[in-house]
Amino acid sequence: MISAENLAISFRTETGWAEVVQGISFTLQPGNVLGIVGESGSGKSVAALSIMRLHDPSATRITGSIRFHDTDLMAIPEKEMRRYRGKGIAMIFQEPMTSLNPVLTCGFQVAEAIRLHRKISVAEAREKTISLFNEVQLPRPEKIFDSYPHELSGGQKQRVMIAMALSGDPEVLIADEPTTALDVTVQHFILQLLLKIKSDRNMSMIFISHDLGVIRKIADHVLVMHKGNIVESNTLDALFAHPQHPYTKGLLASRPVMGQKLKVLPMMSDFIDINGEKPAFVPVKLTDRELDSRLETLHRAPPLLQVRNLKTWYPVKEGFFGKPKEFVKAVDDVSFDVYPGEIVGLVGESGCGKTTLGRSIARLIEPTSGSILFKGKELLGLPATEMRKYRRNIQIIFQDPFSALNPVTTIGESLLEPMRVHQLFVNDNQRREQVISLLERVNLSADHFNRYPHEFSGGQRQRIGIARALALRPEFIICDESVSALDVSVQAQVLNLLQELQREFKLTYIFISHDLSVIYHLADRMIVMNKGKIEESGDPRQILYHPKEAYTKKLIGSIV
Amino acid sequence: MFRFIVRKTSYGLAVLAGIIGVIFFLFNILPGDPARMTMGQRPDVQSLEAIRKEFGLDKPVYIQFIYYLNDLLPLSIHGNDAASREKYHYFRLIPLGKAQSLVLKKPYLRRSYQTRREVSSILGETIPNTIVLALSAMIFATIIGIFLGIVSAVNKDTWIDKSANAFAVLGISAPSFFAGIVIAWIFGFVLSKYTGLNMSGSLYNYDPFRGEVLTPGNLVLPMLTLGLRPLAIIVQLTRSAMLDVLSQDYIRTAKAKGLDKHTIIYRHALKNALNPVITAISGWFASLLAGSFFVEYIFGYNGLGKATVDALEYADFPVVMGAILFVAFIFVIINILADIAYALVDPRVKLQ
Repeated sequence: MISAENLAISFRTETGWAEVVQGISFTLQPGNVLGIVGESGSGKSVAALSIMRLHDPSATRITGSIRFHDTDLMAIPEKEMRRYRGKGIAMIFQEPMTSLNPVLTCGFQVAEAIRLHRKISVAEAREKTISLFNEVQLPRPEKIFDSYPHELSGGQKQRVMIAMALSGDPEVLIADEPTTALDVTVQHFILQLLLKIKSDRNMSMIFISHDLGVIRKIADHVLVMHKGNIVESNTLDALFAHPQHPYTKGLLASRPVMGQKLKVLPMMSDFIDINGEKPAFVPVKLTDRELDSRLETLHRAPPLLQVRNLKTWYPVKEGFFGKPKEFVKAVDDVSFDVYPGEIVGLVGESGCGKTTLGRSIARLIEPTSGSILFKGKELLGLPATEMRKYRRNIQIIFQDPFSALNPVTTIGESLLEPMRVHQLFVNDNQRREQVISLLERVNLSADHFNRYPHEFSGGQRQRIGIARALALRPEFIICDESVSALDVSVQAQVLNLLQELQREFKLTYIFISHDLSVIYHLADRMIVMNKGKIEESGDPRQILYHPKEAYTKKLIGSIV
Repeated sequence: MFRFIVRKTSYGLAVLAGIIGVIFFLFNILPGDPARMTMGQRPDVQSLEAIRKEFGLDKPVYIQFIYYLNDLLPLSIHGNDAASREKYHYFRLIPLGKAQSLVLKKPYLRRSYQTRREVSSILGETIPNTIVLALSAMIFATIIGIFLGIVSAVNKDTWIDKSANAFAVLGISAPSFFAGIVIAWIFGFVLSKYTGLNMSGSLYNYDPFRGEVLTPGNLVLPMLTLGLRPLAIIVQLTRSAMLDVLSQDYIRTAKAKGLDKHTIIYRHALKNALNPVITAISGWFASLLAGSFFVEYIFGYNGLGKATVDALEYADFPVVMGAILFVAFIFVIINILADIAYALVDPRVKLQ
């Protein structure tokens, strides 16, 4: 169907041309799903976008050829290319939130695409759109036809996008991380839907993802991309059974797997030999006995944190004089304990209230009612000056390492500031020494002190965030989706670091994540949240194999 | 939508009430005896007393303020006597006792100290001229500005974009009194033979034989001058909003559908880019109505701005106060209209 020959893509940068795809070749067989997997910056999306020629031609240089049937798509004029877009090859994108035009109705956007390729009346296009909405299993298609994108959920928007892509009856569908921004249960649904549509319509598909689990569910043939090159190309089964390239091995090994608790996660450096010698990594599994005895010792001490009937409600509807009339119950009557030295995993889908709960505990958001006892002391209602003392002891590591650091402050300053505020150490010299030792502890170096955040990669920034949380020597840290924005290989490093630090400094964590496998790997105890309430809590092993609540079962069932 | 409008309107009324208060007390602390100003050079004691009584100047300030409010409010209480009826032209609604009634009337802005004419009739003569001027300047700036903004965004970094940008910088940095003089001199004097335009004049000119004559040519130069700065700002705003929108994911989606450039720009991008432009247009329109003082003065254009400047020269406070109130009123109305326009253009604007 599609074959790329020696495809190389360069982008114009301030310093010249940067080659992001370095001469790759691949073929898509009719009726097949070609999976492209790789971490951020591997060039997988760039390659996919170039098939549709969606790059800005003034800032991109593409060499090589991409054949669709017998046409070289790189050689035809733009006007002819437009006829292939949507009709021959269609595409869906990662971000359903931003991929639909916010000021046009969903129906209009799909009908517009239909009428572009077929000369039919507005009424016929409407009918066709509604039948497409039915095909992608959207509820109440007539209503969605007249809805604006912001009125739909993420999964619904992605289904509108799929309907739009199907509108020209394409032969090839390119899906660029179509499920990455969605919740696991929704992701599961979309993958099933795509597979069904593919076989119903006998389409071919190129499916791009950073997630090997997702690829495993959908692809027939897999390309592994790394730094602009294809490092391995194999059938799905062969790739998972016998990965050849060290990078593939590392990628497969470094993602936490449900049902398996390792002492240390394997990292990329365990597979790619740096010094010419082949390191051998032997994963050490934690036995049930070890886990049981750990839990028992932990729960012998009195709880560090006791949350009782905590409620955080947001007013949504205001009366004429600003008096709230309706509320979103982000956290609704939640109670649990956290013991010293414990890692409690808080898991749930977006909007379940897990982030609000984390911030409410640190009183970054003022809870509506309830009680939070930290070391037996009630935090709610404490005056600001007294709360400051406890702030030191309760730190948060945020999700997005890019926006959590002030771009105009050096790393060193960012870490010094909290120490200065809380008057830790006698003078700035001692504080500086402390900051440097912290930086070294999170595997950064002393000369990073005077650098600015933009000079660091995502993983490095997250480690800076960890160092900042540690700067005040807290006992208790809330990690809010702290590894969600990271690539798997970087995620493994950060998870290992968090575990090491936990042991070293006797820390207690609440680890918030949407990712059940990460929680399973890390947590001593887990809490499943849904719609502001706790669905189920307990030993992760217990919950994985014997879930009690229907919601937990559904969540576990959708894991890839 | 109805509730949205009601809420915005009530906020607007609150703002207006605040402005009335500020204006009243501001002009009250200014030096000068209104009664004396009204009577001119040689007042006699009786007339002075009569005027003081009429304006309530013998009463404490807060009573004066209540009188002032009562004069302004469309729904107010006035005497039943013939003099009041003559003064306010009211429509009686409910009689309150023997001497007074609750009445409906046009806001009474009092009389000019200078000419003793009603302020509302003085303003009434000049406001239409100003509205015509501001409206045409704004239409000129909006149409040309949005068009130039789109063209320069689409042709980013080419000579078209660069010259549009240079023009915009010039337009923003040239003060209107300077631009006005330059434009008047070049087009109304040096090139007058070719353009057929005058350096100054009003929309209606007095002709000894035909009386008042409509001369639309006199509108052109003040319109250009007045529209220059909003035009420059609209160009830049449209350009940057458009560039921002063109880099959005949904534009990529539209392109992936196979739409052509024209459809992408005018159907998918423009509507998204318009929000900041609407803010700018509404803000500028209000201030054009208010702030065409220099331009009207330079071109001798008989509008609200010129009337206000003239009144200020003679410390004719009722006229000035009336003009300010009118301008405030226009600001409030335009802001409400702009809020409604947002809600119409962007479905995400919450009507709550």
